[in-house]
Amino acid sequence: MIVRKIGENIISPLGFSVAENFAAVMDGRSALQHYDHLWGLPFPCFVSLLPDDILDKAFTQEVDQACLPKKPCTRFEKITLLSATKALQSTSLDPSSPRVMFILSSTKGNVSLLADAHPDIERVTPVHTAQLLARYFGNPNMPIVVSNACISGLCAQIEAYRCLQSGQFDAAVVVGADVLSPFIVSGFQSLKALSDEQCHPFSSVRKGLNLGEAAATVVYAVGDDNAEGWQMLAGAMANDANHISGPSRTGEGSYRALMSVLQSAALTVEDLACLNVHGTSTLYNDEMEAVAIHRAGLAGVPVNALKGYYGHTLGAAGILETLLTMHAVEQGVVPATRGYEENGVTMTLSLSSSSVKISKTAFVKLLSGFGGCNAAAAFTNDACRR
Amino acid sequence: MELTEELKTKMIEVLNLEEMTPADIADEAPLFGEEGLGLDSIDVLELIVLLERNYGIKITDPKAGKEIFASVRTMADYVAANRTK
Amino acid sequence: MKYKVLHTVKLCPSHLEVDGNRIAEAGGETSFLTDLYRRLGLDYPKFFKMDILSKVGFLASEFLLEQEGGERFVPRDDRAVLLFNRYSSMHADQTFQETIAHPEDFYPKPSVFVYTLPNIVTGEIAIRNKYHGESNFILLPEYSEQAMDQAIERAFLAPGTSSLLTGWLEALSEKEFEASCSLITVH
Repeated sequence: MIVRKIGENIISPLGFSVAENFAAVMDGRSALQHYDHLWGLPFPCFVSLLPDDILDKAFTQEVDQACLPKKPCTRFEKITLLSATKALQSTSLDPSSPRVMFILSSTKGNVSLLADAHPDIERVTPVHTAQLLARYFGNPNMPIVVSNACISGLCAQIEAYRCLQSGQFDAAVVVGADVLSPFIVSGFQSLKALSDEQCHPFSSVRKGLNLGEAAATVVYAVGDDNAEGWQMLAGAMANDANHISGPSRTGEGSYRALMSVLQSAALTVEDLACLNVHGTSTLYNDEMEAVAIHRAGLAGVPVNALKGYYGHTLGAAGILETLLTMHAVEQGVVPATRGYEENGVTMTLSLSSSSVKISKTAFVKLLSGFGGCNAAAAFTNDACRR
Repeated sequence: MELTEELKTKMIEVLNLEEMTPADIADEAPLFGEEGLGLDSIDVLELIVLLERNYGIKITDPKAGKEIFASVRTMADYVAANRTK
Repeated sequence: MKYKVLHTVKLCPSHLEVDGNRIAEAGGETSFLTDLYRRLGLDYPKFFKMDILSKVGFLASEFLLEQEGGERFVPRDDRAVLLFNRYSSMHADQTFQETIAHPEDFYPKPSVFVYTLPNIVTGEIAIRNKYHGESNFILLPEYSEQAMDQAIERAFLAPGTSSLLTGWLEALSEKEFEASCSLITVH
């Protein structure tokens, strides 16, 4: 069975469509900025934030306010609804069909509401937003939320793929979103995982990650053999079984997920245009990914990471980075790894601080996260073989 | 209370070393690795918070922490020399 | 979907059931969860560092795997861990929020923050048992056999997965928790 992408969107500080975002990436733009005391926090940080006025304007224009509950939406609810709405606009899919499944990918949803004097606990739960989303589109099915730390965006796509493969549904709307808050920023700060400067994936000067806000949506549907466009070929997850917050030094889970996907998708090193990796710019993540890629025999494949443009967008990352890589491969290019300087991992990868021309049509997306989880997925587009 | 004993009591609390008492922790025993208390990277981060919150000591580089947190003795020496409260 | 249930466990604040038999009752002054940990006779001090969701999930998995018997702690990738709940990591979230709520005493706790993700418990189980298979946490708006069955069917589509440690795992506080888990296989 063919699982084909039929709709897409990215909402980020760099644009409100995938095309706008891709153009920004090719221009080398980033929304990451330094803040001395963001929200009064007692430490500096370097993050990418979506301005409220721009979000509100698009939200009121695009999302039918009459179909929403009376209580004003939170920022998290707004970007989720906006991204799904814009993705579905470009398709002929009827989202109210019982054959369509809604899947949300988020790590922390409305967690910022916990700072309220009397928090609405129900609304804090990401399932509340997933239900808001499904109801807004009149969908009768119980939506699910995939919450697997930083790999959620790929896990959600893997769930979608299997929803279609198993015949449970004919289409799946996969929305990934997270917004930043003192909760998330101070949490990552407490783990000493943040850099207060531009992040430098895989570089010797790297000292931590940047966080960013975004929502991204991909719509998958059962496709026929003759149609053109992007297909999801396979997806896999694997656990390091090593530590809840530190990745395996041998890249165990990442390597296993990668090998499983290559085998399921029947891809070899010769087929791959690129690997779009996690590349958070923490000391351990980047080293681990380099080890996993070497073990898999893929050291020669062009590698890139997009965190230097967006920061780590958490629950959105897996979808946002997949969509941008699809556009890049379509254009025959691997975008520059923004922030990449002198190699700083023990096993060298084919990274570049400028964009690289390519002609192949399949790629693999990798992510890893807390809880020792790792995911990989493979995609191809035969139509862009020219 | 002696600083080493005070540190042991606080460590047991913040690191949730439920089944230990201060008497179980020798001053010179390594805090990391198999022979010692077997603390991990999150424990180091908690010890950094402990020093900041109780003694006003800021450690920004967790790597520097490895030497400071070698044993209760090294920790106590560092606190005695650097405390601001 | 047809699958075989090997063992089941139900853990709630009042008692523990394994394969339908009540094997422990809460009582006494100490925490029921700590009592159960001691009953297992383990030397696994990491247990005390876990948040409540992880403690409940860890204990449920230990009682399940004790029933299974056979050789444990040998690396394997044919078993996936797939858990569900509604409230995600709410208890850890509230605990962490408390550490950042007061600007004059602002000390975000790293050991609490790491547990503000529901899938950490799946990692704890994978680490303990050396499971390199899939680990996944799905949030559902309510306890739904149908939704869980569908997710289980999807999990078995993974080429290497032949058994699952799966079930509902909710923990809102020391006094409010529920684990209803099972060990299942396709064969």
